[in-house]
Amino acid sequence: MSDCQGLGDCDDARMQRIYEYLDGALTHEDIAEIKDHLDSCPECLEQYDLECVIRVMVKRSCTEAAPDNLKNAILDRIHSIRTVEA
Amino acid sequence: MSTMDPAVAAMHEVAGNDATPTKTPEAGTSGAPERPAVQNSPVQNSPVKNPPAQISPVTIPADGHAVQAPADGPAALETEVDGKPLDVATESADERRVRFERDAMQYVDQLYSAAMRMARNPSDAEDLVQEAYTKAFSAFHQYKPGTNLKAWLYRILTNTYINLYRKRQREPLQSNSDTIEDWQLARAESHTSSGLRSAEAEALDHLPDSDVKRALQSIPEEFRLAVYFADVEGFAYKEISDIMNTPIGTVMSRLHRGRKMLRDMLADYAAERGFRGASESSAAADSNKQENRK
Repeated sequence: MSDCQGLGDCDDARMQRIYEYLDGALTHEDIAEIKDHLDSCPECLEQYDLECVIRVMVKRSCTEAAPDNLKNAILDRIHSIRTVEA
Repeated sequence: MSTMDPAVAAMHEVAGNDATPTKTPEAGTSGAPERPAVQNSPVQNSPVKNPPAQISPVTIPADGHAVQAPADGPAALETEVDGKPLDVATESADERRVRFERDAMQYVDQLYSAAMRMARNPSDAEDLVQEAYTKAFSAFHQYKPGTNLKAWLYRILTNTYINLYRKRQREPLQSNSDTIEDWQLARAESHTSSGLRSAEAEALDHLPDSDVKRALQSIPEEFRLAVYFADVEGFAYKEISDIMNTPIGTVMSRLHRGRKMLRDMLADYAAERGFRGASESSAAADSNKQENRK
């Protein structure tokens, strides 16, 4: 599996670092360290790239517009609640 | 309807934004972590060479708010009405409704997309969103202006799903992936155009949206929703932990496993479609699956 241990001593550890990097869950120091490593390690960079591609795909695929009538249906219900309470 | 409605009463337990703040362990102690530029950019053309700067810091709640307002979000205006400071205690029912429509209704599309990952068909997703909005409106006096309204709404949506909706579902947790594409909207394929280095990344990127949705639907719900909240909505671990009412450590492990499953699944689909570069990762996926079964 992974030859490089720059981001962790096993695949899981490496991916966890990459996830945290992408999730914005690291300190400035950690971010700089990982960025430096990615700049110099094609193997980890490939894993990182793959993860980026998947995120973009997921985001693209899961962005759906609600049906036109949904917003009106919600507003109707909210107005009916107000009427009863008034 | 009144606040005696049991569904609304149930919401009072979960919808209040009064959770005890928890310091995010992964944030370390050296100041606000920053979010690399990658995650929220719609199309990732040059993933690595972009410096991970220009990002609003993920602030750690320190003031008792369940979820922190994003620095650049619409929340900044939530604390005003017609240019005057908002006083929740004295506003009338009409004023509150107007404020709800102004601040909360903008998220209908996003909540609907999330509901589609929960309910798995458009009609049920609509019901779910409608129900969640009705509850949110009934509990809106509990929402603290200036905190993260979107996360608050997602929390209500998730609770609505868990408390009411899922109990009604007769179907097993695993979806029947063969039927999903029947009702999925046709979408023009859009690809990231450049910056991809590996053949595997290239192969995955050619998968149609329907495959991505199918892959997401096929991973267990708690993993699926965590991945959705993080990767689509860009919520921080702490926010997801509030929305899903689980510890941050659980969120992180769900994300880790969910992403791995998703990636393996996508590699399988790419291999099935005969996309170049996917076979190697598919073999890896098979070994991962065996690992997961242990």
